[in-house]
Amino acid sequence: MAPNEFDVIIIGGGITGAGTQRDCAMRGLRTLLVERSDIATGATGRNHGLLHSGARYAVNDAESGAECIRENLILKKIASHCIDSADGLFVTLPEDDLGYQATLVEACRASGISAEIIDPDLARRLEPSVNPEIIGAVRVPDASVDPFRLCAANMLDAKLHGSQLRLHTEVSGIIKEGNEVKGIRTRNLITMEESDFYAPVIVNASGVWGEQICNMAGTRLTMFPAKGALLIFAHRVNNMVINRCRKPANADILVPGDTVCIIGTTSSRIPLEECLNVAVTPDEVNLLITEGAKLAPGLLSTRILRAYAGVRPLVSEDNDPSGRNISRGIVCLDHELRDGIKGFVTISGGKLTTYRLMAEMATDMVCRKLGVDKACETAVKALPGSEDGSYEEVAKKIWENPSTSQKAAASRMGSRVSRIRSEDRRDEALVCECEEVSVGEVNAAIDRLEVNSLTDLRRRTRVGMGTCQGEFCACRAAGLLAKAHGSVQRERKDLEDFLQERWKGNFPIGWGDTLREAEYTQWVYKNVLGL
Amino acid sequence: MRFDTVVIGGGLTGLVAGIRLQKAGKETAIVSSGQNALHFFSGSFESIGEPSRDITELFSESGIRLHYQEGVRLMPLGTFRPSALSLEDISLFPKEKFGNKLLLVNIVGYHDFFSSFLSQGLEEADMSCRIRFLNLSDMGINAPGEMRSVQLARTLDRNWEKVVQEVRLLLKDDDTVILPQVFGLEDGSIPGRIRQSLPAQVVFVGTLPPSVPGIRTLQLLKRRYEVLGGTYLMGDEVVQAHLHEGVVHSVVTKNLGQHYLEADNFILCTGSFFSKGLASTPEKVYEPIFGADVSFPPERSDWYNPSFAEKQPYLGFGVCTDAHLKVLKDHTPLSNLYAAGSILGATHPELGMGAGMCLRSALKAADSILEA
Repeated sequence: MAPNEFDVIIIGGGITGAGTQRDCAMRGLRTLLVERSDIATGATGRNHGLLHSGARYAVNDAESGAECIRENLILKKIASHCIDSADGLFVTLPEDDLGYQATLVEACRASGISAEIIDPDLARRLEPSVNPEIIGAVRVPDASVDPFRLCAANMLDAKLHGSQLRLHTEVSGIIKEGNEVKGIRTRNLITMEESDFYAPVIVNASGVWGEQICNMAGTRLTMFPAKGALLIFAHRVNNMVINRCRKPANADILVPGDTVCIIGTTSSRIPLEECLNVAVTPDEVNLLITEGAKLAPGLLSTRILRAYAGVRPLVSEDNDPSGRNISRGIVCLDHELRDGIKGFVTISGGKLTTYRLMAEMATDMVCRKLGVDKACETAVKALPGSEDGSYEEVAKKIWENPSTSQKAAASRMGSRVSRIRSEDRRDEALVCECEEVSVGEVNAAIDRLEVNSLTDLRRRTRVGMGTCQGEFCACRAAGLLAKAHGSVQRERKDLEDFLQERWKGNFPIGWGDTLREAEYTQWVYKNVLGL
Repeated sequence: MRFDTVVIGGGLTGLVAGIRLQKAGKETAIVSSGQNALHFFSGSFESIGEPSRDITELFSESGIRLHYQEGVRLMPLGTFRPSALSLEDISLFPKEKFGNKLLLVNIVGYHDFFSSFLSQGLEEADMSCRIRFLNLSDMGINAPGEMRSVQLARTLDRNWEKVVQEVRLLLKDDDTVILPQVFGLEDGSIPGRIRQSLPAQVVFVGTLPPSVPGIRTLQLLKRRYEVLGGTYLMGDEVVQAHLHEGVVHSVVTKNLGQHYLEADNFILCTGSFFSKGLASTPEKVYEPIFGADVSFPPERSDWYNPSFAEKQPYLGFGVCTDAHLKVLKDHTPLSNLYAAGSILGATHPELGMGAGMCLRSALKAADSILEA
């Protein structure tokens, strides 16, 4: 086989693509994944980071609910270092109909989700940040998941199974012979180099961009992009996921994650052209704060770190332009059966929680097409980093007396943290003080999975995701990246882009402490450092 | 407790105003919350032009040496910026090309001094530059946590002669040595002594905050103020003001509680947003102590420019005053409250910008009090 020939090519480096890449690689296929930007830059990195128990869906969509709980339990085993199993509450406020509680619990039981009605007093004790006015509470096995870490771990495992990953590589065309796909034309957006890659099967896992890829392949797929806005708060106000116990509505889920918590979301249709640069409006910010404070009043006095929005890749399976048949479930299309295009598969819809199942469905389809008969093992084999249980156990195995920053590193990298173990104490110097990320960890990330920019690094290590949002660590990390890439000019531009990206998430919430921090950043970067 | 003037805010502006008033024989107190913008001071007073005698005297009497030369200075990320009045630490050059062969000295394990960015900028300005690293582990600096500007300066101030020796060993035919600004935290003569001890031009370049020359400047101004008999209330903040018919009678502080600070005059120099002189909610920008008038556009979207690199409107918001810097409340000047420093935002363009504006407005407010 020539170096540009593969068994399967996957388009899209979100969690669906990453999961499919891992599954294909584990079944022995020569696999290539191409991504136009960096890993987890689309919907994967722009949501709550909620590992659904399924309770949210159980009432309206029993199938999704059942899929969620099955996958929830699997991921807690195979991706333990990406997951914080805090459990969740569905709380009823005085203005809500307490009757919905029974509906929810019954639906959960039907879908196999453990849902236990608990006394509001107990709920207040379990989760002190919850609105003290609650009149009802149900406990469910929700958890939070770090989507960046999860995505990176899947890709890393694929790499360990011989798969190739090409980031910043845009698909410019699908190569076809008659009604059969043969490969893809690509352009590297950094080097502008054009390359063709060939494979008998191509998997379209490009999320909201699936419509465009289908056009290139000569078929139609109608996407209904739905924007969801969210706010990140500077502290971990809650330890359990807090959901509003009513029909799904705006801003009714508050999820803790690492050092922060996230409230969301809104839902509004947007045109495909706007998907690359979605902005959060003042009305959305107001709504998120008002509704969020009903779940946890402490949010009103907590600094907001950032406003951001993602786009849900909802699909209309039958191409009905009205969107009446939009599916919120998994859509796995065999375009040979659907449109007569041989070797082309689309996997879309679904949820972060069900990514593994989606990947399994897509990979099963790929294997059938290639005539490969090998069972899926992704549900039983742990991801790299998740082999050794909790991060505290991992840290103890390596360090006699782990420091808080060593524990933080172990919680991010799992068992792979041993790779950054160094005899040189200088590698312990902190780059990012908020998240306690060391020089060694940053360098390990640069070595492990291609890092092109500071925002790429942020997705891999949490550098710049904490309270100061990259005030100083951006500069320190830029120094390390300049060294790794040997280009200072590129790094100076990168630093400017990073600050712009940060400001984009800050000015929609630019008051109070956020404005203070913004003024400080302006002062430091423009007047003190001279950017 | 009664004073002639109570100054609210203990940064550059408050100290300069306080020193001026003490020297004129007034009894004053400064209420200082602790940290202020001098901790991030670049060392240059932007846009001030040739300094008045008042300014040079005030600084030299405080033991702070300034120099004035219209030119450029080298910034930590390797860019150049027009500068004039500066602390003596800061090298000012008539043009960007200030040397031919440069030796850039960084410290092993120190990530807050950007030698690669600097060397790129220097090469763009047509100077050749080589980077060398000093290993300070035998000076007892090992712990990664010690690699921050102030911690380094504490050790290096005791060991600066060793550093000079090490640098001498690295020097070949270089005409210039570039060092991080981590010398002279307490003793301001150290940068000058390093310059004298090396057979090449020595240029100190800034690091990530905190700023070593800034902290030294703060300490020296504070010492001078106290030598003149001023009362510097460290770690305290004003929480309430008592006003009656357009006159401020007293202010209440967190630490002093029922012991109000009374005075004939008050100067408000609590800084802008970061220092909490100005506060904001989604609806408004306000001054939290006196409820002074603040100029800002009503629509929040007009507060910002979506591009980080562009000039940000909110940085210009400030407390409204009359021509004597008397603070306006409900469009009417309060008879004995003056505002100075960053809290003015860009409302007084004639006073300049940045630290230069702080100096000028501090002297202007003090003079308004002395002339009244």
